[in-house]
Amino acid sequence: MKKILCVLIVLMVVGGVVFAGGQGEKKSTQKTVGFSLWTMEYTFFQAVEKGVRDACKDLGYTYVMIDQNGKADKMVNDLNSLVGQKVDGIVITPVDPGAIGPAVQKARDAKIPVVCADIGKSGPVNALLISNNFKGGQMAMEFIDKTLKAKGVTSKKVGVGTVQPQWTYARGRGDGFIAKAKELGYTVASELIVQNPTAEGGYDTMQQMMSAVPDLAAVFYCSGREAVGAANAIKAADKPIIVVGYNGDPEEIQAMRDGIMAADIAQQPYNIGYESVKLLQKIFAGEKYEDAVVPVEVALLTPDTIDKFQADYEAKMKK
Amino acid sequence: MRKVGALKWAAGRWDSFGLPFLVALLLLVFSLLSSPFRSVYNLVSNLSFASLVAIGSIGMVFCIMSGDFDISIGSMSALAGVLGASMVARIGGPAAMLVTVALATLCGFVNGVFVTKLRIPAFITTLGMQFVYRALAYIYTTNTPVYIKDPFWLSIGSGSVLGIPFPVVLMVLCFGAAVYVLRKTPFGRYVIAVGTNRNAAMLSGINVDLVKNAVFTLVGFFVGIATVVTASYLGSVNPGMTGQGYEFQVITVVVLGGTALSGGNGNLLGAFFAALFITYMQNGLGLKQVNSYWQYVATGMVLIFAVGINRLKSAILGQRET
Repeated sequence: MKKILCVLIVLMVVGGVVFAGGQGEKKSTQKTVGFSLWTMEYTFFQAVEKGVRDACKDLGYTYVMIDQNGKADKMVNDLNSLVGQKVDGIVITPVDPGAIGPAVQKARDAKIPVVCADIGKSGPVNALLISNNFKGGQMAMEFIDKTLKAKGVTSKKVGVGTVQPQWTYARGRGDGFIAKAKELGYTVASELIVQNPTAEGGYDTMQQMMSAVPDLAAVFYCSGREAVGAANAIKAADKPIIVVGYNGDPEEIQAMRDGIMAADIAQQPYNIGYESVKLLQKIFAGEKYEDAVVPVEVALLTPDTIDKFQADYEAKMKK
Repeated sequence: MRKVGALKWAAGRWDSFGLPFLVALLLLVFSLLSSPFRSVYNLVSNLSFASLVAIGSIGMVFCIMSGDFDISIGSMSALAGVLGASMVARIGGPAAMLVTVALATLCGFVNGVFVTKLRIPAFITTLGMQFVYRALAYIYTTNTPVYIKDPFWLSIGSGSVLGIPFPVVLMVLCFGAAVYVLRKTPFGRYVIAVGTNRNAAMLSGINVDLVKNAVFTLVGFFVGIATVVTASYLGSVNPGMTGQGYEFQVITVVVLGGTALSGGNGNLLGAFFAALFITYMQNGLGLKQVNSYWQYVATGMVLIFAVGINRLKSAILGQRET
């Protein structure tokens, strides 16, 4: 009886606030963009978020952001929450792109366009903005080839630390690297998935690679923080293995300044976020985008070019 | 004197009314602070979302009441989910859902066998099986997500009965059945007896091993149901991501709900309200754009507060601490 009373109290309060909430709500004429983000823990995603936020401010949209906290089920719930808030458009950086399908369908059924900013897509999204990952992987191998030749290294063995299968677009980095490696006559002697997508995971995977292939000449990691971990493992083992990473985060730039990482393929997360909202603007204006993939260019970062890159990055983040 | 009397009155009613009161207060506060929060859509969809943890917590309440706990449930969910989802094409959605529940139940049973027959402590057993189940999920799927296309299965997460989301209906039914079993059946009394004093339970003729095995099997059963709902919600099961951190979410909810980690004392409806509290709190904080790091702090403080309140209540009432 007491428990039933408790449930009734909660229901009465819920009913009361919902009733109160339904009174006198006036819909603003300003468009609202909802942004669902994987996590704010990493600098890459902080830059994506800044890009989305700045674009909303510049284009005069109201901005609503929800952090998925790296959880797929929360990601879906957050998407549903944005649909419930009747936002005008959604940008999402999904922690698990394969799991957004049903929620994206709900959004589209409610006439809300959905643009994915990086990672991947599933379901009836309007578009995905993502770095040209395949080309980035190729650029990494081209740099390694040039560097090994300059150093007179004869070993043709390279390794790749790749990402988990559900991040299908990020896996393009490894695919591009492997394709270029084969074209240039190299052997991919080790290809490992970094299960723990952190610096610790990169460190651990690199130790496995060095044990399995003692004469490894170079390695490419599809994610920057893992590359930093790998670089530290190489430094600890005192081996002359060249490391190239992918992302362009401050941790990788520091690793290059410290001399433990040779190069990095820099994405432009701020631009990915910013352009995602500009794409929404086009969709609001009536342009048709359905399941489109919009590539964003990447750049090769070396110790010579990191100062300018970092200055540009800091200028955007401080804006 | 009046102040002490009022404290004792409040402390005496905390188990029954404490969490429902806090849930109501939370709803009121966030509704005043955030207009998106108080929309029907938001409140109902989060009630549905809360069911993912709430249903899984039912078996854990029994487990913790019996004096053990199971930290393999996240991996169990991943394994059962990928195996069940992969069978949709062969046996159809409804049968595949039953297979998912059956597989998770089997996993729970296996845990129970290791604990009762091999006498391996539950913490070690379920810690080890956490790795085994997850690894099997990876091996079976070659680390690739399994997508659910079956309309019936997908409708579980998005469908409704008389306007009430189906996951909510399922949650209520599961809790109703569990409360009945705990309060009205001999099994429920045996679980409490085993958790309170295992030796005394044995001496009074209770087959402790059978009860423990049944409890672990129950954990698997309810995790299986939660997995079916979660898979429907997400439209896929991912061997690497499904169930990550699930055991800690469930144990948080169970402890916040008033079930004592020492065993013997449990609160099923407390777990239900705790799931609502955590879900709505995270929803409200998210809608108010509170930094996600502070959300983690809030969740941790809530758990500490819950344990602290229980101890304070015991002290006020002069009860033995649990």
